[in-house]
Amino acid sequence: MLIRQILLGIIGVSSGLIVSAGVFTVLISVGLIPRFAGKMHVARKIFVLEEMVVFGTLFGGFFSVFSDWGKIGEFVRGHALFGQGATDGVWNLAGTVFLLIFGVFAGIFVGCLALAIAEMLNTIPVFARRIGFRHGLGIAILAVAIGKLVGSLLYFTQQVYLYGG
Amino acid sequence: MSTSNTTIYINAAQNVESQSEDVYVKDIGSLACSDEHVLAKVKAIKLHHFNEGEPKRQVISLLKVIQEIERICPGASVESIGEPDVLLEYIDVNKHKGPVQMIKLIFVAMISFFGTAFTIMAFHNDIGINDVFSKVYEMVMGQPGDGYGILELAYSVGLAAGIIVFFNHIGGRRITKDPTPIEVEMRIYEEDVNKALIATADREGKTIDVQ
Repeated sequence: MLIRQILLGIIGVSSGLIVSAGVFTVLISVGLIPRFAGKMHVARKIFVLEEMVVFGTLFGGFFSVFSDWGKIGEFVRGHALFGQGATDGVWNLAGTVFLLIFGVFAGIFVGCLALAIAEMLNTIPVFARRIGFRHGLGIAILAVAIGKLVGSLLYFTQQVYLYGG
Repeated sequence: MSTSNTTIYINAAQNVESQSEDVYVKDIGSLACSDEHVLAKVKAIKLHHFNEGEPKRQVISLLKVIQEIERICPGASVESIGEPDVLLEYIDVNKHKGPVQMIKLIFVAMISFFGTAFTIMAFHNDIGINDVFSKVYEMVMGQPGDGYGILELAYSVGLAAGIIVFFNHIGGRRITKDPTPIEVEMRIYEEDVNKALIATADREGKTIDVQ
């Protein structure tokens, strides 16, 4: 019995190592965080950004596996932390603000990741050169940004996830 | 007028786009010389003429240019501080104006718009984003959500905002003075293509070179 537990433990640790290596390799080879830091001129604090990446991954990883421990909304409502009547209203507001922040920044990251991978593959320069595209590259990028926005909104409002794999 | 003891410095560019059929020494780079008469003479030396039906691209070796200069100004020494080979291209600018350009732009904009909309939808299906968002919503708010709310809306806005801010294009204007990442990529790609063209021309023996 004990030997099986140990074996499971080893399997768990190994999988964790490989998965984290995979995730971080993509981020590093695409050079996403350095680009963010460079564009906003905060490259001096690169260590803070590294810590943020690690903590973010740990945070997300922990709560996606142990989601029972993350049920803060139920906890607050159940224990009426802000007083009997006011808890609902206050927590609705606080929750909405948190979700807003989470959503916006997650969206920024995903959008940039997609475009940075496309850029690493040189798709845009190759494409632009093949069709003799001299002006208007800005318009194409704007079209990409709006396309993602509309596609994502349509996806959620039309509930495309119900038809997915 | 003696042209010995003058030094002519020539800084040749890697890639030169010419809008006329004749290419002179002044077109392929910048020149410096302490003697103005010599400078004017050298600048007016004709290097190549693009005829009808000939390929619109030609590689010329700087050695040939130096040979031409020494023929016209004997005794002058020439120093090259730029590229050793120059890629000449004959561009017909008028071909790129007008309604064709607008149609091409609309074509590409539509590909970008619909393509990325579809890609992001397929990506979301693939990663099961709805599960993640409903779980996050439930964890934070304590009540189950109804499929679309502030979280999904904020995420979608974030998608567009991230691309616009970090890839630095709003329409045609820019936000900062740096070259945008896409422009840097394009220049790097262009340099690679030029080097490849120069190397190919060299191998095929099509470079204008000294015999």
